[in-house]
Amino acid sequence: MAKDIEFSTSENKFILDALRQNLRLDGRSFDQFRDVDIKFGKEYGDVTVTMGKTKIHCRISCQIAQPYEDRPFEGLFLISTETSPMAGPQFENGNSTGEDEVLCVRIIEKAVRRSGALDVEGLCIVAGSKCWAIRADVHFLDCDGGLLDASCIAVMTALLHFKKPDITVLGDRVTVHPTDEREPVPLGILHIPICVTFSFFNPQDTEENIKGDSNAEIAIIDANLKEELLRDGTLTVTLNKNREVVQVSKAGGLPMDALSLMENCYKAYTITEKLTDQILACVKEDDSKRNQYAGLLSSENARDAT
Amino acid sequence: MSTVVFPGDQLHYDENKPLNIGPGVYCDPKSQKVLPINAGSAVVSDSKKDQSLYIDYDSKRYIPAVGDLVVGIIVGQYTDSYKVSLSSFSTSVTLPYMAFPNASKKNKPTLKIGDLVYARVSSAEKELEAELECVDATTGKDAGYGLLDGGMTVDVTLKFARHLLFDNSFPLLPILAKHTQFEIAIGVNGKIWIKCEEVKDTLACYRSILDCQSLPVSNHKNVVKENFSKVSKVAEA
Amino acid sequence: MSRFEIYSPEGLRVDGRRWNELRRFDCSINTHSHAADGSSYLEQGNNKIITLVKGPKEPSLRSQMDPTKALLKVSVNITKFSKTERSKTSHKNERRVLEIQTALTRTFNKNVMLHIYPRTLIDIEIHVLQQDGGLVGTLINGITLALIDAGIAMFDYISGVSVGLYDTTPLLEVNSLEENVMSSVTLGVVGKTEKLSLLLVEDKIPLDRLESVLAIGIAGAHRVRELMDSELRKRAEKRVANSTN
Repeated sequence: MAKDIEFSTSENKFILDALRQNLRLDGRSFDQFRDVDIKFGKEYGDVTVTMGKTKIHCRISCQIAQPYEDRPFEGLFLISTETSPMAGPQFENGNSTGEDEVLCVRIIEKAVRRSGALDVEGLCIVAGSKCWAIRADVHFLDCDGGLLDASCIAVMTALLHFKKPDITVLGDRVTVHPTDEREPVPLGILHIPICVTFSFFNPQDTEENIKGDSNAEIAIIDANLKEELLRDGTLTVTLNKNREVVQVSKAGGLPMDALSLMENCYKAYTITEKLTDQILACVKEDDSKRNQYAGLLSSENARDAT
Repeated sequence: MSTVVFPGDQLHYDENKPLNIGPGVYCDPKSQKVLPINAGSAVVSDSKKDQSLYIDYDSKRYIPAVGDLVVGIIVGQYTDSYKVSLSSFSTSVTLPYMAFPNASKKNKPTLKIGDLVYARVSSAEKELEAELECVDATTGKDAGYGLLDGGMTVDVTLKFARHLLFDNSFPLLPILAKHTQFEIAIGVNGKIWIKCEEVKDTLACYRSILDCQSLPVSNHKNVVKENFSKVSKVAEA
Repeated sequence: MSRFEIYSPEGLRVDGRRWNELRRFDCSINTHSHAADGSSYLEQGNNKIITLVKGPKEPSLRSQMDPTKALLKVSVNITKFSKTERSKTSHKNERRVLEIQTALTRTFNKNVMLHIYPRTLIDIEIHVLQQDGGLVGTLINGITLALIDAGIAMFDYISGVSVGLYDTTPLLEVNSLEENVMSSVTLGVVGKTEKLSLLLVEDKIPLDRLESVLAIGIAGAHRVRELMDSELRKRAEKRVANSTN
């Protein structure tokens, strides 16, 4: 980070004082996720996610490439997350070795790529020589905290929304059909991981936190930028609707009681359920908008429609 | 009386009277033509003797100008001055130890890093770091400047801060005063410091100021009311 | 992988341990007394690491100076020969290593009493000579020992341990064979409490199993703490005995 946003002790103290009285700056309750707004662009796999003032754009693209030698049956999948000063003056251009940036990128990697959210085997065209390479470019347009949660939503929605051109394989010859010639095919999505970030604040002194039994630490969901800058620790839980923990990352910070961490995981699950439904509904709505005449052209029988 | 102007537009004023120009207006030294250099609303105020002309434009980045009242954060401490930040990611300004009431070589102010101060810009040359003072330079006495203890700061646009500070008919502060007692320090650098007896009231003021920034004056009353009832609901629960 | 039986019906794992058994834990402190202010050598199973703590010392860069507290810096050097197959690239700037470093720094930031060493730098250097699963946990233990050796004030021990989940059975302290076939959790536990300073889950685990995994992990970490504590006490007694003679 180039230079930090400057904070006065008064502000710091005030935010903590307010949290002690169950109040957050923006009027949310502690476990309230900001409203997520998902917008699609003109093309498949072009998604903008807005959460409060945080805004993230994700674009999926694909091309035909050669698979890795040791994995001939798998396609390639790359998530590119580059921070730029566009998101806020605290980000430096071309420098993504900052602690927070590295953690953010790693967690998205783990949540989406390593968890196998995308079926990479379905991207294979000719084993060992040709496969689809899917690329997700995440752009941070505006930062007001919760970059990680928002980008995870953006990437997953974009993957669900994206359609790659249809192909025919004849021996070693691969024909790619332009999208206006043949209906493009969606990607195989195996599950939808959702990241929920908790921020911890310590209302007492350090000693009480480590030695005491009071467990009075405050955990809030989806912090905004100010809260993010002041927090003592963070926990990012990634879950999917199948009640699977995909990834948990609490990289140091304020020590927290194991039971309260478990509680947080359960809280995250309710949010995951809600967000998954929202994402699916949004994708479906957009799909029906694009295919409003499909019903007319379809040769399906009426009974199938029910 | 104000009209919207763009840079390079024609400005309308009485050419027979002497003219004082303010921010956003430029006088071409060759042709002595007066031109706007910022987009905003041109304000002409007429008096018997002369008239003044400035452009009221909105921006987020503050550039120090002499005489401005500002709220700053102490970010550094040197042998004879403090380093003060007026807005994040801007060059910091200096606040000399001697610019405090009753200051002497031995009597040093006791501000700490992270403290908030209310001060006046005493010099602002574009080649030099701007300087602040916490004392009324004409009398050498305390003039309400200095440490702002506790409270909370709100970041607003520069125009809004100026309205709050200079426009006596601006309704927001009287409306807030109906709900609670508060201390306030308005910096034209877009930082407003506010402090009430209780945290929840400060928070309600904080939210109200932020919300009212983007709303027409007529809505202020309702917004403030809503914010106050919201925080007291949470406090009761 | 199918040739191995990860967890036999008799309840034995590939290396002969039962589900709740730790690996061999050998540690010693003050191993590099000349080179560093605090040092430790730790063998946890086949993980072998050297930790050096230098500081609190004057920072070499002015930007590393904080007038209110000490700055903690952790650098992890994973040697090229640390795995069975020699790696071609140095691991230095890999994101994974950067992530580990950040996680370790943040874990100890809250535990070391940094405010009593203002304007200084505490430099922690770790060399991984051999790795065999559950590395982050071992690194935490190594740092704890070295910091204690350096005499740097801390609130409590932090002990690290990893737990795998094989079907429905949690397996304490996974080795690399196990780590490759099942999902594992790494914990950093503060002292004898149930507070977690670090918690990393890298692969899928059913939400409802997480609690039992954490429970066995915390128990394991407490045991690790005891092992470290007894070694440190033994050392201390020896030192006292030497000085009185």
